[in-house]
Amino acid sequence: MEVKLLSARFDIEDGHKIEVAKKNGAYATLDKLFAMEPGEVIEEVKASGLRGRGGAGFPTGLKWSFLPKGLDKPVYLAVNSDESEPATFKDRYILVKDPHMLIEGIIICCYAINSHDTYIYIRGEYVSQAKALQAAIDEAYAAGYLGEKVAGHDFRLDVTVHRGAGAYVCGEETALLESIEGKKGQPRSKPPFPAVEGLYGCPTIINNVQSIGSLPFILTNGADAYKAHGTEKSPGTHLFGISGLVEKPGMYELPLGLPLMEVIEKVAGGVKGGKKLKGVIPGGSSTPVLLPEEAATTTLDYESMAEHKTMFGSGGIVVLDEDVDIVKLVKNLIDFYHHESCGQCTPCREGLGWMLKIVKKIINGDGTMDDVNLLRELCDNIEMKTVCVLSAACTMPVRSYLDKFRHEFEAYVQ
Amino acid sequence: MAEMVKLFVNGQEVEVESGKNLIDAVSAVGIEIPHLCYHPALGADGNCRMCLVGIEDGRPPLVPACKTPAAEGMKVQLDAEHIKKIQRDVMELELINHPTDCPICDQAGECSLQDYYMKYDGQESRMTVPQVKKGKKLDFGCGVVHDQERCVVCGRCVRFTREITKTGELGIVNRTDAARVNIFPGQPLNNRYALNVVDLCPVGAMTSTDFRFKQRVWFLSKEKGICHGCSKGCNIFIDHNREKYKDEVIYRFRPRLNEEVNGYFICDEGRMTYKWENDQRLITPRANGSEAIKSAAVDSLRNAISQASKAVFLVSPSSSLEQQFAVKAFAEQAGATVLGFSDGYIKAGDGDDYLIQDDKAANRAGLALLGIDATREAFEAAMAEADLLVSFDNALGCSYDQDGLAKVLGSCTLAVIATNSDSLSEQATIAIPTASYSEYSGSIINCDNILQAFARAVVKNDPPEDIVEIVNRLGGELENNQQVWAALKKAVPTLAEVEPEQIPEQGLALTS
Repeated sequence: MEVKLLSARFDIEDGHKIEVAKKNGAYATLDKLFAMEPGEVIEEVKASGLRGRGGAGFPTGLKWSFLPKGLDKPVYLAVNSDESEPATFKDRYILVKDPHMLIEGIIICCYAINSHDTYIYIRGEYVSQAKALQAAIDEAYAAGYLGEKVAGHDFRLDVTVHRGAGAYVCGEETALLESIEGKKGQPRSKPPFPAVEGLYGCPTIINNVQSIGSLPFILTNGADAYKAHGTEKSPGTHLFGISGLVEKPGMYELPLGLPLMEVIEKVAGGVKGGKKLKGVIPGGSSTPVLLPEEAATTTLDYESMAEHKTMFGSGGIVVLDEDVDIVKLVKNLIDFYHHESCGQCTPCREGLGWMLKIVKKIINGDGTMDDVNLLRELCDNIEMKTVCVLSAACTMPVRSYLDKFRHEFEAYVQ
Repeated sequence: MAEMVKLFVNGQEVEVESGKNLIDAVSAVGIEIPHLCYHPALGADGNCRMCLVGIEDGRPPLVPACKTPAAEGMKVQLDAEHIKKIQRDVMELELINHPTDCPICDQAGECSLQDYYMKYDGQESRMTVPQVKKGKKLDFGCGVVHDQERCVVCGRCVRFTREITKTGELGIVNRTDAARVNIFPGQPLNNRYALNVVDLCPVGAMTSTDFRFKQRVWFLSKEKGICHGCSKGCNIFIDHNREKYKDEVIYRFRPRLNEEVNGYFICDEGRMTYKWENDQRLITPRANGSEAIKSAAVDSLRNAISQASKAVFLVSPSSSLEQQFAVKAFAEQAGATVLGFSDGYIKAGDGDDYLIQDDKAANRAGLALLGIDATREAFEAAMAEADLLVSFDNALGCSYDQDGLAKVLGSCTLAVIATNSDSLSEQATIAIPTASYSEYSGSIINCDNILQAFARAVVKNDPPEDIVEIVNRLGGELENNQQVWAALKKAVPTLAEVEPEQIPEQGLALTS
């Protein structure tokens, strides 16, 4: 089932080194790139149907076309490598195993949007990954793929790695920009959107590592080759991280649109120890859970997920078996989002802490039905009342657990 | 005139200023949108989420009013059920970790959280789990005490020190519900406007060591006034109260908005000058160097003036225009020399480029307008020949050291009409207490040549007389401010067209 477009060089020994990567096709597309007009590049990416791989799934080419025309300000590219969503572990493979694919993608993107300065915002916990990435960037500078003249063409491009300090919220694109600017990582109110007023007040495009990493394949092989995989509305492949209680957890590149259960059974080896399935988290911890019967009809694409009232998210699939205590899972979940709330907006700042204390009270056996009801009500009271969607990333899944596994909460309070 | 747009609030058409954010735009027509973090002087931050309003057919349908400019045809929903629910929900979340210690909180009575609870919330607490514990009574310096538990983390104080004073002593540390306002260790508030954070704080998180626990604010009467601490003439509220069986006491000054003069703020020194209205007041009149009743002191001074061969009347650069003119008119009538020497009021280099001025006199421009000579040379020349000096509340002691003062006074008889007791009043042969600026009405001209009028704010149990009245008792012809103004308009061309009753709230910029 696996299709290796992005992970083609992952298994090659020393594939992260520039000479090995080049032998295997890295940077081969640059001559073609510079022979094209920037607008043609954007059209090609639009035609490929590539959707942002950070979680929201917004069409990448369309995002680029939001840049205002005729401004005398510089345009920045910020590559979001904060990868902090629990259960998400895809970008780290690109950073370590094929960083030159990312750099080549950055060159393609920057040429298309006429940007000459890129910041790669990498989460603080990715220490070895940041080192590997920096080593690759140094190699690219030495080889002339970055710097004053990219691959000998009259195009300057500088890439700076900016390490975060360990805040989940900095994966939110405007908090990420604040953090690059040296401020406390707190999301900005929108509008203005970053494409108009982003980094240092200049137009800025923020793309996920995997989105950028998909560009070399698209440009080399054409939009149609990319669209040959996946579904009509969700074309291409995705690096799925499958974890939880499965036989073979790991990162797998798969075309979009495959049946979820088939992937769990055939790719990940099924539920660990042959146990019964209790639920599936389809795209990272912030996506609403699917019951087994829902998972049975779900396919791995944006549309099917939306039909099942959940989200494709970051492609981080977590399998829950019959022994998982949903109430304790919810406690862990709220604990994480509460800890990561930036503290800016009242509902998120105060509300997630309250939710955490209520669920702890329930687990301690001190809870009542009122507490369960209050927990459920708070999900509605907090969600979408804030600057960013961090609070919703907590309340959406919690609501789904409360609605789909209410009997487990009730068992604790009886 | 700003461009106006028509929009709808709860279906009702209102005309508001275009481009203003919704909070300001609709508050101008009397509609309140609740908010904690937004302040017109500090801009929109959008963190409290109290001002979320619905925009019918809008995208997005829910917006923070503080960040949404008023636009033509906009349909704003404020009383829709879903908006009322949001206000109730946000209030609940504001309050879950709030100590609700209103009975011992200084802010009670002027607290946004209290008012909004009554107006937008009103539910019983559902908080059955332990509250977040944070720091209490933290000394932030400059007389500011902080309570992190009462704080709603709106960041107004933080933005004030960053955007207005540009000193940046405050910050919000930590994330989530551990977020709190703090100073850097060992680096407390250190600016001359710090106490404004107490006024800015919408709740009782910032209190003033000077004011806290002195009065419940609902007992205070709040009158409009003008600070006389320097030549800026910042607009203030004079908050005072007469407790049972006691006299009027002023408990604090607070800034009052005047976009043309001081904006939203005042300096701390000016704020503290309220103390001079209460303390060290000259209470006991004196005649012939010993205590006397007031009428005896006035009689004594009247005689001294009539018997003097050369009298110098020294007016104060902080007195009102009316008082200065009354003294000047009386001097002409009595054959005395009127002067305004007051170099000691000027503290060179003390001012800044914001509100604080070098000149600590409130109405020096008045002296200039009335043509009263304020030079040292004129004063010392006149004093060389004078046998009587009458100080009309001029703190001459600050213009000389002790020896210098003795030398300039020589054998001259000294009479003072003064608000406060000082070294000059103590050595005066005749001393008459007079009203201070919170106790009379008048007008002053500030350093930017803006004429501002102020009304009597406080009436003491035994109210001391204003200089205009005292001058009249001494034999001056002008009886009151009305008569002074009639004469002023004739004598001073700049004021010819000015109607004292019609000086606008924000003052009147004098042109010449």
